[in-house]
Amino acid sequence: MLQNMFATVFRRGRSLALLTAVVLGSSTWAFSLPADSPQPVTPHKPPLSGNPSSTSSDAEKKPTPIVIPFELLRSRHMAVQVRVNGAGPYRLVFDTGAPMNLVSNKLAREAGLLKKGERPLLPLFGMGGPKTIETLEIGAIKLHNVPTVVMDHPTVAAMSRVLGPIEGIIGFPFFARYKTTVDYQKRELTLVPNGYEPKDVMQSLMEKMMNPPKGKPEPRVLAPAALWGFQVDKADDDTTDGVTVTHVLPGSPADKAGLRAGDRLLTLDDRWTDSVADTYTAAESIKPGRSVVLVVLRQGQRLELTVTPRTGF
Amino acid sequence: MHLETEHLAGDLQMSPFHPYQPETHIPLPVASRPRLYRFILVSLLVLFGSGVIGFPEQRPRLPEETRRYQVPYRLTDSQHVLVRVKLNGKGPFHFILDTGAPAVFVTKSVAKKVGVKTGAQGWATFDTFEIEGGVRLTQVKGRIEDLVQLDGMNTLGLAGVELHGVIGYNVLARFRIEYDFTVDKLLFEFLPDFEPPDPERLRVEGPDDIQMMGPFIKMIAALTGIKANFATVPRGFLGIEVTQANGKVVIQHVYPGTAAAKAGLQPGDVIVAVRAQTIDVPADLHRALRRAGVGSPQVLTIERQGKMMEVRLELGRGL
Repeated sequence: MLQNMFATVFRRGRSLALLTAVVLGSSTWAFSLPADSPQPVTPHKPPLSGNPSSTSSDAEKKPTPIVIPFELLRSRHMAVQVRVNGAGPYRLVFDTGAPMNLVSNKLAREAGLLKKGERPLLPLFGMGGPKTIETLEIGAIKLHNVPTVVMDHPTVAAMSRVLGPIEGIIGFPFFARYKTTVDYQKRELTLVPNGYEPKDVMQSLMEKMMNPPKGKPEPRVLAPAALWGFQVDKADDDTTDGVTVTHVLPGSPADKAGLRAGDRLLTLDDRWTDSVADTYTAAESIKPGRSVVLVVLRQGQRLELTVTPRTGF
Repeated sequence: MHLETEHLAGDLQMSPFHPYQPETHIPLPVASRPRLYRFILVSLLVLFGSGVIGFPEQRPRLPEETRRYQVPYRLTDSQHVLVRVKLNGKGPFHFILDTGAPAVFVTKSVAKKVGVKTGAQGWATFDTFEIEGGVRLTQVKGRIEDLVQLDGMNTLGLAGVELHGVIGYNVLARFRIEYDFTVDKLLFEFLPDFEPPDPERLRVEGPDDIQMMGPFIKMIAALTGIKANFATVPRGFLGIEVTQANGKVVIQHVYPGTAAAKAGLQPGDVIVAVRAQTIDVPADLHRALRRAGVGSPQVLTIERQGKMMEVRLELGRGL
């Protein structure tokens, strides 16, 4: 497969510069590139045109769901038809597991994302820099300033060879802006704008990689968002479900809900509490004043207790 | 942008020789660190396991009645949708919901922990497959494989949590799933009268080139000292309830026996500052304490009956 990689690079006609760079062990290759434009890495806030709920003045209007049919490929990936800067339509894979959008060099050239003569930053997979799509149209949706990366992803390329042209992936930065329902039976995506603004994940991960923490890594502290009034514990060799409640503060929200020391706490707001860390993680997302159900085992009985944690620390 | 201008001409030279397959060459050039990292990220973050196309016909089963489930999820640091899963009652394990994956994938170490037998083709059947929130499937086929993307993300700690697998088409297609990242649960609705068509066995020419990333990632990790850090500790406990009054955070209740009680805090005390960070609203207090573990020393500045005083204490245990 490595030879295969080599062949990929060879096909791109960059081999000479590459080999020179590798043989000389210098950065010739890097410097022979067209001047790369450092991308502004401020978070994108694309205005949503075609999105009636995106402005507060329209808040009372109920946004209409937008239905987008998808093609179920023989590989059972979902494909949608997309226009990029007016070019296309192109077939892209819709992928809930993709934190970024990705388009092929072919699409990028045709849609004007690459300047004339602009070549990939890295020859492997035709890796380009981050780009911004001016208009992205999927069904009745038209989005502006959508971030994407340009890359001939080898898996997309392999799929294209078998299934016909596929020019990229549409992922999180698109569907996170909507309450998105995926229905394989109807082969439809249903989208309702929800005001969510996805972060630029490439940016934050790049920072994480560029500045790895120095010294001994600190553990992440799991901070409950409210005061509950109990303690839990679990022995290292205890592998059964849940954690044991060791102490309940008199008069606390947990006490008022009927939680008792000795109870085995199984879930908190439908989240498994199989370790002390799990219990704190579950409590991280519950704000003061929100009532949630704790499921406990007490003397073989399964009880559901409704607890309303309060503002406290 | 400092990210874009820093070139690593010297210290990130990629050896043209693969450490494990000395006769093959990786033509990885000397390139700037940001470019390499971006390349790694894009390669790792999408289309898990899609090189495997076609899988054994066996349908996961769910109890008869149509049901809707609220499935807790979290977004990882890498912006993947993570749910927790128990396999044959063991776990919970961290799985990514991925319509870009043709099936369920489970790492080899998790499969070993769970004790499933892997068949000749690399597939195993899980007697029970429970997704947090009440979804309980039986007889779920999963592929036991260390996907290069999961492995790479775990090596570099990109997701912020260890990842154990991926939930792909063979489970996802059984449900109508609603994703809404403004709320903390996903909606799963089982489609009782729908038999999703199996993926066809397609002949994909050539290997999945993405596999070559594995050793490359290890090399990058070794060269740059990027290490995964998944350790967590509970926050320390003070033992007070507070309220906001006239732009101040006032202690409403002090629980007996807690760190706050031992340090002599009293109802009516105004919390002015924690370790010199000014406290105006309860959210400030949350911010000031959210990285403080059990036993961590704290200095609280409080105002009692018009007098300012400093209170030193060590946080206790509880939530």
